[in-house]
Amino acid sequence: MNLDFNNIQEGFELPSLTKEPITQIQLVRYAGASGDFNPIHTVPEYAKEAGLDGTIAHGMLIMGILGQMITNFCGIKNVKKYSVSFKAMTKPGDILTAKGVVKKKYESEGEKLIDCKVWVEDSKGEVKVDGKVTIKF
Amino acid sequence: MVDTSLEGKEYSPFTFEVDRSKIKELCMAIGDNNPLFFDKEYAIKQGYKDTPAPLTFATVMNFWGNPEIWDRMKEIGIDIKRLLHAKEEYEYFSPIYPGDILKGVMSVDSIRSSSLMDMVTFKSTFTRDGEVVLIAKMTIVVMQQ
Repeated sequence: MNLDFNNIQEGFELPSLTKEPITQIQLVRYAGASGDFNPIHTVPEYAKEAGLDGTIAHGMLIMGILGQMITNFCGIKNVKKYSVSFKAMTKPGDILTAKGVVKKKYESEGEKLIDCKVWVEDSKGEVKVDGKVTIKF
Repeated sequence: MVDTSLEGKEYSPFTFEVDRSKIKELCMAIGDNNPLFFDKEYAIKQGYKDTPAPLTFATVMNFWGNPEIWDRMKEIGIDIKRLLHAKEEYEYFSPIYPGDILKGVMSVDSIRSSSLMDMVTFKSTFTRDGEVVLIAKMTIVVMQQ
């Protein structure tokens, strides 16, 4: 990681990532990749019978997109913890942006760490997924 | 109604062999074209042994390595047609690589039942040669009808 612990301050914004619109085909790919074949993500008739307007994205796909933003920032091996709460549903057509901000910079057990608030919102600003990542330097 | 007496129950271990194509497939589905996940030479230059598994790979290991998870949920009394994924938490100890043979053990970390909802957290601990590489916790809720 080319980042310097000394150069990162609380309030630092992680470079955001805006994705192409979510597509139904993407949800099919994600179902196959992840092994989550719940038809609410891939069969519109099933989703409508469940009371939705149509299919919804897997929450884990959105966590994956947020993970992409984090990995772009610091790679994989520097990530100690990553967690999210699922707040709102994502539908095909939604345009998502993954964002993050450093909330706390500290040292613990000999490690230099930052805790970041990370989230994904759509083009209207509705938060889909909201979480935290702890990164070590 | 969920069976709260199952809190703490640990299930039989399962094995998951990590393969390169599954890492690529998950990244392609996410739309992540980071060469870290596709190009071994690039990954080595970045200080890795090979293309590492991305941050949400545990979901692949749980659903493809332990498809019995759905039966486990039904046994607890979770209505899988109405469940909502509330939270997901990962703690990473070491990167996961193609060729790794991991052992996964799932347990019921907590079960809570209120007048509003049932909430169950499943914890999966993944080890490689006896060392913990990843701990994953999945929290699902079912609203009371």
